[in-house]
Amino acid sequence: MNLFVIAILGLIFVFLGSAVIGLLRGGKAGSDRMFKALRMRIILSVLLFAFLLFAGSVGWIEPNSFNLLPTQ
Amino acid sequence: MSNEKYYVPHGTYWPIIGSIGISTLFIGFANQMHDVSWGWPVMVLGFAIVAFMMFGWLGTVVAESVGGFYNPQVDRSFRWGMSWFIFSEVMFFAAFFGALLYARVLSVPWLGGADNNVFTPELWEGFKATWPLISTPGEVGQNGVSFSTNFKLVDTWGLPAINTGLLLTSGVTLTYAHHALRAGHRNALITWMLATIALGVIFLGFQITEYGHAYHDGLKLTSGIYGSTFYLLTGFHGFHVTVGVIMLTVILYRIQKGHFNMENHFAFEGVAWYWHFVDVVWLGLFIFVYWI
Repeated sequence: MNLFVIAILGLIFVFLGSAVIGLLRGGKAGSDRMFKALRMRIILSVLLFAFLLFAGSVGWIEPNSFNLLPTQ
Repeated sequence: MSNEKYYVPHGTYWPIIGSIGISTLFIGFANQMHDVSWGWPVMVLGFAIVAFMMFGWLGTVVAESVGGFYNPQVDRSFRWGMSWFIFSEVMFFAAFFGALLYARVLSVPWLGGADNNVFTPELWEGFKATWPLISTPGEVGQNGVSFSTNFKLVDTWGLPAINTGLLLTSGVTLTYAHHALRAGHRNALITWMLATIALGVIFLGFQITEYGHAYHDGLKLTSGIYGSTFYLLTGFHGFHVTVGVIMLTVILYRIQKGHFNMENHFAFEGVAWYWHFVDVVWLGLFIFVYWI
């Protein structure tokens, strides 16, 4: 579940990156690309936040339970 | 008037003012660190000169843009400049997130004997890997104090969740403002910009409140690797939100002055991206510091 959350956060960064490319290109096409990418990033962010609250409330995610290395 | 050649300003005095400001700032800072009495006021003076330079220089650039001195080549150079600034910002926060994750996922468990036990617990006898680690092992161990701590993280459901909701809402209002600008809806644009700025200010107020709670609970910059990374990450993020609020306010001023139109609004786009980035950084903080 934690990795799913991190993957969605990564996808949000991909859209931020796409917006930078739109900003760099400029013009009508670049401006359109930037706006659409930023709109997608806020939609994904709100959904991820709602999912976190839901997953926490039903016990799918425990706060600070992220450990990759087994402790002896 | 339009100019086919790349615009180069002549006789500008802002670079030398900037140099004087930065030099004054660092001389004051260095002496303040050495407890020299005049260090603090000199540092404040340097900061004031730098702020004066930034507002003056950027104001000059705005006047040049509105005056029609720029051509498409200048526009491209601004876009490349913003892109490199964005790259530096991403690297800046990546370093701090990297420090947090390295400490939490690798170095602290290693010290507790995890993985192949190369970094054995014998380094600090009695060390037990816990998170959040709010003491520095060497110092605490020498004093014979237990490494374990009863410190509890700030409640995820409290101010951190409220602040996340506030910043995400500001991202939504900014997106509506962006849409209004592209559609030529001036009143809606101003309303959504005001809402975005207000949400940013409220976020900062809550963040200061949370710092008060955390400090009261004993979490300081010197509270081990967790205290250091917590305050560095959230502190620099708060600084970026402050800068973002100032930039959004300047953009609102320029909107009211009629500096932008449906096709030409690069400054708005640059600031909008910056605000979205600061928003995502907080989402990352909420996830990595407070949640998982």
